Amino acid sequence: MGAAVTYTESELVLGLKARNEKHFGYLYDHYSPALYGIALKVLNDESMAGDVLQEIFLKIWRGIERYDTDKGRLFTWMVNIARNTAIDTLRSKSHKMGQKVAELGSNTLASEQLAIHPSVDHLGLVKVLELLSREQRVIIDLAYYKGCTQDEIAKILDIPLGTVKTRMRNAIIQLRNILKQI
Amino acid sequence: MDVQRYISSGVIENHVTGLLSEPEAREVEGAIQEYPEVKAAADAIRQDMERYIELWAQKPPAGIKRQLMERLRKDDVQDTPAASPITTTTEKTYDDPFSEEKGEGVAPIRIWQYSAVAAIILLLASVTMNVVSYGNSDQFKDQYAEMQAEQEAINAEKQALKDELASVRKEADILKNPAFKWTRMPGMGKHTGIVATVGWNPQTKETFILAQELPEPPADKQYQLWAIVNGKPIDAGVFELGNNARVIQKVKAVENAQVFAVTLEKKGGSTSASLDQMYVAGKVAG
Repeated sequence: MGAAVTYTESELVLGLKARNEKHFGYLYDHYSPALYGIALKVLNDESMAGDVLQEIFLKIWRGIERYDTDKGRLFTWMVNIARNTAIDTLRSKSHKMGQKVAELGSNTLASEQLAIHPSVDHLGLVKVLELLSREQRVIIDLAYYKGCTQDEIAKILDIPLGTVKTRMRNAIIQLRNILKQI
Repeated sequence: MDVQRYISSGVIENHVTGLLSEPEAREVEGAIQEYPEVKAAADAIRQDMERYIELWAQKPPAGIKRQLMERLRKDDVQDTPAASPITTTTEKTYDDPFSEEKGEGVAPIRIWQYSAVAAIILLLASVTMNVVSYGNSDQFKDQYAEMQAEQEAINAEKQALKDELASVRKEADILKNPAFKWTRMPGMGKHTGIVATVGWNPQTKETFILAQELPEPPADKQYQLWAIVNGKPIDAGVFELGNNARVIQKVKAVENAQVFAVTLEKKGGSTSASLDQMYVAGKVAG
């Protein structure tokens, strides 16, 4: 995969804004795994995730004019597009809240996750899944990957609204500690 | 605002993970703009989340990139206005003569002109389509031939496996049949060390030989099995080596045998055994 060339982020952005297909190919090669990972986690369905991945990259291609380097990293911008597109699809497929939870229930068991994602960075992920408690993982997944609001999460987990907020903070702090060890 | 307290309230984590409602999120965005410490905290959390996301990265299926690049090219074509004039012209042709109703002398000519243009366009389109589909059909033909060859190879392989399985099954049946008497024939004299085995069913008279350790015979010679009764060798047939050395081969039916022996004979076998050419022999048990 285009091992010979590497672009800096600003070169890449310039190339994309100039509608250069080569730059776009490079962008795809380097970022599609992370974005596909998001779509898969949100939708839990490989064929839907593949379609959504195409939508995501079309949006990136069409929207690159609006991307502003000052506002943050390119990756952050693309991750937001990916997450929003995938969650929109999840919602439009009339996934009701109950369904989200049902999916999450099976989704949060470490072993199954690894079965669905055979090529993930095992060592790091295994460590994260080991050290992040189930409730911490669930709250991150519900918020980030299923697009649930605080209210929804409070209802789903049957905890007070304030607890959602503190639990999320603890989950992120724990995540940071784990990431330091990887 | 107490920035430290704001940071430790958890609102930034909730913002980055997408938990907040829009008004709340806007508020946090405002604080990020205003206070560098808040911005630093938000950036750090964002980076944590992005690393978490990257842990879940997975290579997408191979075909997606190609599909995507095709869609991009179409996308760019749609952006350019070049494609539209044709449709607007034809629409006009259709509308003009009928909406104006008058000037019958002019309209038919214009209709003819436009029809001619439309016909030419259609013709060109059709020619293009033909060329394209001809090209495609070539490609499909190649693919089809390739798949056919593959299919044949698979069938041949399947047949070979089937044959092998059948012969292995047959051998297993013989080996499992308790009516068979197995006689091990060790090497005689200077042929010590070689061995062959005879399986004989005294009821059905069926006889099989397994030439485990016989040396490959010269091209003009062949091994022959003999059933010896009261010192008299009776022909039990010749057998092959080579590929058949490791399989149980059927030989002639044997009425009776006290001893089995194998001699090296001329190709096709002899009527009487060359006992000086005896390689292996074994006494039938019981």
